[in-house]
Amino acid sequence: MAFETPKINYSGKIREVKLGKSKNVSVGGESAYPLYLFEGENPNPPKIAMEVFDLAPEEWADAVIAPFKDVAGDPVAWAKLNVEQHGADMIALYLVSTDPNDKNMDAAQAAETAKKVAQAVDVPVIVYGTGSEEKDAEVLAKVAEACEGLNVIIGPVQEAGHKKIGAPCIGYKHTVSANTPIDVNLAKQLNILLGNLGVNADNIIIDPTTGGLGYGIEYTYSVIERIRMAALTQQDAQLQQPIISVLGREVWKCKEAKMGAEDEKYGDPTKRGILMEAVSAVSMIISGADIVVLRHPETVKLIKQYLKAFFN
Amino acid sequence: MKLVGENMNVMSKTLGPAMRERDAGPIRKMAENIASKNVDFIDINLGPARKQGAEMMEWVVKTVNEVTDIPLFLDTSNVEAMEAGLKVVKRDKGKPVINSVSARPERMEALFPLAKTYEAGVVALLLGVDGIPRDENERGILWSELMVKCTEFELAPQDVYVDPIVLPVNTQQNQVQGCTNFMMMFRDIAPGYSSTCGLSNISNGAPEHLRPILNQTYSVILNHLGMESAIVDAFDADLTAFARGGKAEIRDLILKAVNGEDIDTASLSKDMLDYVKTAKLLLGQSLYSDSWLEL
Repeated sequence: MAFETPKINYSGKIREVKLGKSKNVSVGGESAYPLYLFEGENPNPPKIAMEVFDLAPEEWADAVIAPFKDVAGDPVAWAKLNVEQHGADMIALYLVSTDPNDKNMDAAQAAETAKKVAQAVDVPVIVYGTGSEEKDAEVLAKVAEACEGLNVIIGPVQEAGHKKIGAPCIGYKHTVSANTPIDVNLAKQLNILLGNLGVNADNIIIDPTTGGLGYGIEYTYSVIERIRMAALTQQDAQLQQPIISVLGREVWKCKEAKMGAEDEKYGDPTKRGILMEAVSAVSMIISGADIVVLRHPETVKLIKQYLKAFFN
Repeated sequence: MKLVGENMNVMSKTLGPAMRERDAGPIRKMAENIASKNVDFIDINLGPARKQGAEMMEWVVKTVNEVTDIPLFLDTSNVEAMEAGLKVVKRDKGKPVINSVSARPERMEALFPLAKTYEAGVVALLLGVDGIPRDENERGILWSELMVKCTEFELAPQDVYVDPIVLPVNTQQNQVQGCTNFMMMFRDIAPGYSSTCGLSNISNGAPEHLRPILNQTYSVILNHLGMESAIVDAFDADLTAFARGGKAEIRDLILKAVNGEDIDTASLSKDMLDYVKTAKLLLGQSLYSDSWLEL
């Protein structure tokens, strides 16, 4: 008997979600496991979003602040630099100014920044609050209103505050980034709740929470894998959404990425952080992420090269 | 299926203090209530019982036996307390049962001799030195270790209640398959042995109002695969009805799902459909979420 290559029996498909003000960027649409291009379609290669902070970062490692020293503190210029110089497919704007445990600045002002950034670039813009239930409800509702017509991706929308942020996302027609704590069952539950609220399934992406390299990324890997198995082989309609991995900030906040050159055996601090970020991004893409959020321009170059090996 | 009422538990906000203060009123009342619910055993769960465990067990057993002679499961990890209970428990209506003995050498060495001396049953818990088994095969290995020891101590197979460990479906759905699949092999690898399980653990962490349907549906599945008894909420009347052979229509429907037969869901009432959805969830055919009945 001739050898037959084993093949997965797929019964489901990932939804295609259109992003950005001109809806010209699509994510999802896969009919097979990640990069299993020999078994099915992946019409939309994974996208790279690059981080922008609404304030000049205070605690970034030298290696990663250096490329942005001329634009830090000017989110619009920063976003443009990422798109025009570094080839970002998307922008991920973090409204760190609103952190209630830090500057706790005004929601309206942050929303205005989000609007300016979303207007300034042609690529889709992700706007993230700080994860504080109370403050995000206020900030992200204002962002939704200010960015009407710009179809931004708003998050993190978590179970506790999903109504307060989900409702304005429906009203002002934005995409929701549904965030749960590294758990496949909770990811499904939040999508059900968002559906009950009236958020269209075509406007949801899943943020399963990304653990840093050495700080739990393997759990995220397994959960993304599990989500894709349910979506593609168990016809789980609640999990057939594109996935975003918010990983740059997780990588660059860990001790090993922030350390300088003081300890020789840790090697060159710039290379070290970039490689940690690149390895994380590849892992997330292999597990099934449709969007990876990155920080360093050199990582972006590496990942673009990597993706080229699979697509075109 | 035989039922072991689980409600006499030191974790209860009223029973715990009553046990510690030797206040017989609430204990008697609970014992009477459980006894009135058509159960076959009552589980006396004292937990670790580190402080004065022996005295507490002796007192609780005597207090319960004042109002009922339904046989007891004695549930504590304190060996001294276990022996104190075995010494005084009534056995007119059946042997008491030691709950539980895991496949850890020190537990087997300490508790199997008590089972022999006091002519008690034992719950053989499929938990090893490495903790909870990951699938049916690891359960099988632990069972073989326990069976060797049971034989060594000359325990009668029918007095050994194998407990395959039921885990919560909301966080460990794959592990539910491990338990279910073990029960599929149970009759072949443990002929003549009894079985039991902590059934309510299947719904631990699920929304409170949805716990009964999970417990009931899993009881039907396990019973079908040979589970002879279960430690349960004595006050779930529907669960008791299933255990006594009632609700045949729903039982048949659940077993259709177990056997992978086609079910015409369009013709079913909401209530019946809920049991089908729950069976599919427990069989791992759909992924758990708190809203599984709404899908």
